[in-house]
Amino acid sequence: MPLLRDIKGFFPPFWVTFRNMFRKPVTVQYPEQMPELPERYRARLVLTRDPDGEERCVACHLCSGACPVDCISMQAAEAEDGRRYASWFRINFARCIFCGLCTEACPTLAIQVTSDFEISKRDPLKLVYEKDDLLVDHCGHNDEYSFYRQAGIGVAAPRGTNPSESAPVDVKDLLP
Amino acid sequence: MPTLTIDNQQVTVPDGTTVLEAAEQLGIVIPHFCYHKALGAVGACRMCAVTVVEGTFKGLKMSCLVKAEEGMVVTTDDQQSVEFRARVSEWLMLNHPHDCPVCDEGGECQLQEMTIASGHGLRRYTGKKRTYNNQQLGPFIAQEMNRCIQCYRCVRTYKDYCGGKDFGVMGSRNRVFFGRFKDGTLESDFSGNIVDACPTGVFTDKTYRFKSRYWDLQEAPSICPHCSLGCSTVPGGRYGELQRVRSSVNEKVNGFFICDRGRFGSSYVNHPERPRQATRGSWKLTVDEALQQLDVKARELINQHGPESVLLLGSNRASLETNWLLQRWAEEIGCRAPLLSAHLPRHQAAQVAAFDLADRLCSLEKVRQSDLVVAIGADPLAEAPMLGVALRQAVRSGGKVKVFDPRPVELPCDFEKQTVSPTELLDLLDGTSVESKQLVDLLRGAERPVLVAGGLMLGAGGMLRLKKIAAAASNDQRNCLVHPLLGGANSFGAALLSLPEQDDLLTRLESERIKMLVCVETDPLLEAPDNERFAKALSLLEELVVLDYLPTPLSVHANLFIPTTAPVESEGTFINNEGRQQLFAPVIKPRLPISVTGEGNHPPREFIDVAPGSDPIPSWQLFQQLLGEATDLPTLREKMKTAVPRLIDFETLQPGGVSCRVAHVDERCIYTDEIPAAPEESLQLVVTPARYGSDLLSRYSAKLQPRFTEACVQLHPQDAAARGLQDGAKVVLDTVEGPFNLTLKCNDKMAIGCALVENGPKFQQLVPGGKLSFCKVHAGMSHG
Amino acid sequence: MVDQFVMLALILIKLVLVFAVVLSMAAYLVLAERKILARMQLRYGPNRAGPGGMIQPMADLIKLLTKEDFIPATADRGLFLIAPGLSALTALLTFAVIPFGPTLEIFDQKLPLVICDLNIGLLYFLALSSLAGYGLALGGWASNSKYSLLGSIRGLSQLISYELAMGLSVVPVVMMAKSFSLTAIVMAQETIPFALLNPPAFLIFLISIFAESKRIPFDLPEAENELVGGFHTEYSGMRFGLFFVGEYINLVILSSMLTVLFLGGWHGPWLPGIVWFMVKVLAICFFFIWVRGSLPRLRYDQLMNFGWKVLMPLALLNVLVTGAILLGMG
Repeated sequence: MPLLRDIKGFFPPFWVTFRNMFRKPVTVQYPEQMPELPERYRARLVLTRDPDGEERCVACHLCSGACPVDCISMQAAEAEDGRRYASWFRINFARCIFCGLCTEACPTLAIQVTSDFEISKRDPLKLVYEKDDLLVDHCGHNDEYSFYRQAGIGVAAPRGTNPSESAPVDVKDLLP
Repeated sequence: MPTLTIDNQQVTVPDGTTVLEAAEQLGIVIPHFCYHKALGAVGACRMCAVTVVEGTFKGLKMSCLVKAEEGMVVTTDDQQSVEFRARVSEWLMLNHPHDCPVCDEGGECQLQEMTIASGHGLRRYTGKKRTYNNQQLGPFIAQEMNRCIQCYRCVRTYKDYCGGKDFGVMGSRNRVFFGRFKDGTLESDFSGNIVDACPTGVFTDKTYRFKSRYWDLQEAPSICPHCSLGCSTVPGGRYGELQRVRSSVNEKVNGFFICDRGRFGSSYVNHPERPRQATRGSWKLTVDEALQQLDVKARELINQHGPESVLLLGSNRASLETNWLLQRWAEEIGCRAPLLSAHLPRHQAAQVAAFDLADRLCSLEKVRQSDLVVAIGADPLAEAPMLGVALRQAVRSGGKVKVFDPRPVELPCDFEKQTVSPTELLDLLDGTSVESKQLVDLLRGAERPVLVAGGLMLGAGGMLRLKKIAAAASNDQRNCLVHPLLGGANSFGAALLSLPEQDDLLTRLESERIKMLVCVETDPLLEAPDNERFAKALSLLEELVVLDYLPTPLSVHANLFIPTTAPVESEGTFINNEGRQQLFAPVIKPRLPISVTGEGNHPPREFIDVAPGSDPIPSWQLFQQLLGEATDLPTLREKMKTAVPRLIDFETLQPGGVSCRVAHVDERCIYTDEIPAAPEESLQLVVTPARYGSDLLSRYSAKLQPRFTEACVQLHPQDAAARGLQDGAKVVLDTVEGPFNLTLKCNDKMAIGCALVENGPKFQQLVPGGKLSFCKVHAGMSHG
Repeated sequence: MVDQFVMLALILIKLVLVFAVVLSMAAYLVLAERKILARMQLRYGPNRAGPGGMIQPMADLIKLLTKEDFIPATADRGLFLIAPGLSALTALLTFAVIPFGPTLEIFDQKLPLVICDLNIGLLYFLALSSLAGYGLALGGWASNSKYSLLGSIRGLSQLISYELAMGLSVVPVVMMAKSFSLTAIVMAQETIPFALLNPPAFLIFLISIFAESKRIPFDLPEAENELVGGFHTEYSGMRFGLFFVGEYINLVILSSMLTVLFLGGWHGPWLPGIVWFMVKVLAICFFFIWVRGSLPRLRYDQLMNFGWKVLMPLALLNVLVTGAILLGMG
């Protein structure tokens, strides 16, 4: 009988809410009590360096291309030794949604996420991080990879001397 | 017309079509590297493999080489072909350096696309990669040979198609190398095309090096504004800066390629001194205020001094819309019809092309297909570079090219040159001389003859004479076509809008009745003859108003300056030398580039709703504001079409879409040419445009600076000897416009009895295309 | 003369005290509601402003006062400005007739603990609670917003529907107490509260005041997930604050009315009358909050069905039955 069912169903919620009042709340009291973050937590982005201590970022624009909210912008430039680097690199954290797609797109492992999430500011302009603010002095998650030692561009080592390369060919050689 | 089946779809194609092209018609893209529509197929890359199930030759075949046959059955997605293509792509990648992140081609790389499309993802080969040392190829092209996949497209473009001589393939085995014999600048005027042709990042644009990624560029179909041919281009800009230009496809005009002037001559848009602020003297104004002042002042002067007192000056740099609206505004304020060119002889030559020759004009495509091209008074590489490439295609398909010119003309193909002086040129065209009759006979003997008419050298009179030759060489079966070369991107359009009779700018200025001169995107100090007289006449004016997007010397003299937008920043129409209406779309918005506002570093950290330097608005919009109209371009174009019936289908055209020629007319120009008597011991003065920097746009392009040539006067060694002058001597060139100190250069390829000077960035005083005149050359220095 | 002066002073003191108590009760009721609801949902609730969040109402007040006072461009300005005031004012005025304790004797003066013992106090209450509808109606109409308008239309029809049942449910009380004066009604319950004498009337009145206060499960006028903020969507700053505080004053009034009409007012053993009154009112307020934490919102058709087809007939029947019984008992 629906009326009976309705009346029966009327009371349990009161019991549930009443009982809850005497339970310990589950809220984490954040500034006093720090949350335990998972190891792969995605928060503030950094630009890492390769094992040689050089900037890993080659300003290839893949991160800015992958960014769904267009919060990364940069300009590439060429150093004297032919190294491609970012003359400026800007991440607008006011816009960033911390999806981590940039780190997945990065071919040189330069841009990486850290678990530092405490970056809120009163002035949105202070959330616009420039290259100086982003660049760190370590390799981040991977301390082995160096793009210029893998790719065949004579920057980290002279042309043809990387482990995977043979010496430059002599184009005037006619030997079979 | 064979009908064949590709992937269960039937298609009928013309005889001689390859399977690859037939598949393209069905929308099936067969991966390929070495095939290019303009270059043809060589079957070098093995990427376009398909399986022929029914046909003369069955089995795995290269689709770019197999001609379509009746009843042929082809599959492109069977296991055999797919696997073959995957293996081919894997082997092409054996030696690839995997440096896409630092490669400028990344994002628009055919190798990337084809590798992904063919399904090759992981490198299995563990051997060492082959490497090369690179060459320095000059200011325009950067080389990175490690990325090469040996498709030969660069050689076929540079050498075979564009006729360059200093680039080729060398080496053997897997050491095949594409480049010059030794380091050095690529000499061809079409060297930039190997950037477009290269399917990967071996050749990249050095002036665009590391500037942007393809996907970040703002691109739009545009028309090259550097000469009268109107080649289709796709400029690309980012952060308020025009960064590069690549060629677009227009089979009627440029085909697939463009010249280096068009490709690297675009940085005038980013000129550091480009005016972006309306000013009256040193006062800064908003554009609205400036327009208000212009309107008030013009009306006031007309009320006081009559319709003669205000002179409006249009130009061949301004779009068709701007020139037409300028005429409308003249009607509105009640002054005389505007002059649409500061350079009267050029303008008259363009009018002959626009009116008298209108039914004989032909496109570059027709030039490429011609079996006899006679160029009269034309130096294609200086006046219209892509014509040179078109002439080469005519020669490659068995045609002949004959050139009559006083200048040491060079072409990227074999041709027959007859060196004649300007007066002899006119004699050649008079129809009665022996040479003239020979010329007509020669043209009559050809099946598809084309006359290239150099408007600068011939002038209106010469063009009219040439028309008679063309008429004499035509018969019932075919017309002798004419391909005229005019002064600027919109010379034809300006000529078409103006009445067939016009008087000279200078005569009117010097009559002292003119109080106010309004120059719209033109600087008569640089773009018209007798610029010293013009400079003096400026002092007679009460008010000089300049609307321009270049930092021209005239804008310094202007009482009121209003900034306008460059062609890549606005929408508009140019009519090219053969009367083709071509629309260009806005690529970037006018503003100071971020590289300037950020001073090389990151852009300034501030919130503003208007970008700095974004004041300029398109000149056609300025005149619409003056007229109190605010219609969009399609509506404006409909109005223009009603007013100017020759603009057929004008309102339906789209930027980058099908282009369409203007209609013929029965109006005729009446110009006579007088050959002035030569003073004693004088030489005929020939002023020719320099290959780079003769048009103002390339003159203000920093990228082209390495190509600017030193100023000199050229004489035939005989003439030099007669005057006791040595090669390299400092001489004085005495002309009607005054004496000039120049270095002498002897050149035995030019006409005897002529003195040749190049108008370019280093010598701006004499402007090509003026009336026939004479000069003297003697040793020493002139003072004053 | 002195007597009259003392009398006047006492009345003034009484007024100020009542005013302060009611307003601070309303303010802390907000805090209490947030804290209690939070605990029911295993949260802490506001605990940042002051110890345990105790000065949260102050913080809220400052926030509301300093916020931008936004008036929509198309709003009917005059009405838009009046509506929130009307809403808070009618709620406050009602308290004039509520007796909150037995008559005190101070300075030889009899001091009734009611601001004004109207002999038609009950009717005054009914009249003012009807007037409260104007705040709602005008606010929704003047905002010139579809959400506000829908909210106020719902609110009005809900008020009309449930006021009927409410009015009918107090008829037995009047019949039993034989007076419209609220003090007299309380006096009539000295031994046994009317809630026990006439439970149906009590239940109908209880349900009706839930609807009257526009709270869960009858909060359709401001159903957030359908109408943004309901009738006060377009209000901001202290104007919104007035609506908000009016709602909670209303809650206190309605609780007091329930206490007065059915729970015996200040009557109770051992404790002073005024304390009993407070305890009863606070207990009812807690019940309001508890219901909000436990029950979902009704659908609009359910609301109307229940009001017209269940409550109204029941209330009518109750009047008849009570009348018959009273008649029978003589």
